[in-house]
Amino acid sequence: MSSSDDAPLSPRSQLALSCFEELLDCAVADVASECHRIARLGLDRSVDAEEEELRVWAARAAAGGDQHHPGGGRAAEEGGGKGGVDVFGQTHPAIAADVVECMNCGRPVVAGRFAPHLEKCMGKGRKARTKTTRSSTAGRTRSSNGIAAATSYSPYSNTTNASRASTPNGVTDSVGGAGGNHSNHGP
Amino acid sequence: MVSGRRASINRPPTPSAEEDRDKEPSLEEAINIKLVESGEKEKLMELLRERLVECGWRDEMKALCRAYARKKGRNNVTVDDLIHVITPKGRASVPDSVKAELLQRIRSFLMSTSLR
Repeated sequence: MSSSDDAPLSPRSQLALSCFEELLDCAVADVASECHRIARLGLDRSVDAEEEELRVWAARAAAGGDQHHPGGGRAAEEGGGKGGVDVFGQTHPAIAADVVECMNCGRPVVAGRFAPHLEKCMGKGRKARTKTTRSSTAGRTRSSNGIAAATSYSPYSNTTNASRASTPNGVTDSVGGAGGNHSNHGP
Repeated sequence: MVSGRRASINRPPTPSAEEDRDKEPSLEEAINIKLVESGEKEKLMELLRERLVECGWRDEMKALCRAYARKKGRNNVTVDDLIHVITPKGRASVPDSVKAELLQRIRSFLMSTSLR
């Protein structure tokens, strides 16, 4: 381009130049703002101080449960989810250890083993399930809902036994009456 | 001021019509208004951003910022600081081709709006 920096700028070129500079200032402000954010949030992994912070945090997560820096350290390392520390600085074992009461059979079960328990509990408890005769909704459950429930809860109905297909979760029928077992109205 | 009610914003007095007649928008302001209204400014901004990313200018500036933040301590930097750090180098290191392209587009816009 011959008309570049040599000749004195025409008014239009001057205008264009100042316009360009304004755009450039915007771009500069953009970059500065973003870098400021990265710096303040500690997202820049290659900073030395941060590396140390990360190492401390990783060691802490491995040790499982040091609660000194719940907030600060976490900002640096958000992606390492399975490090096992939550926002309050607590660690949780991989398998839930709480003991809950099965709403089907009433037995205390370890939460981490609840699903397999429920599988067996609902599958084998066929004989126990006939105890729905005792609940108030029994007649309704066994005769009408039983069949409808059987189709919707197909994983459980290996046999076509309608009586045992009633409301595994106690959802459709009254809470006390569903599940149809000895501990219906108990708790 | 109405008693019992405080203005939440300190508002300069509305310029009266006479003042307005004296102060016409300068040429630069008029151009700016046209740029914004037509949407051209936004397009130019996008174009500039794109070019600056492509040519690595943005990464250079980010590196400068990072170095500065490391030196000063990351919690001590302000946006103003960073702008002052980047601006001189930033202005100087824009590739000529990018600058020329943008200037060309601005110039053609100016010509198309037939404002001098």
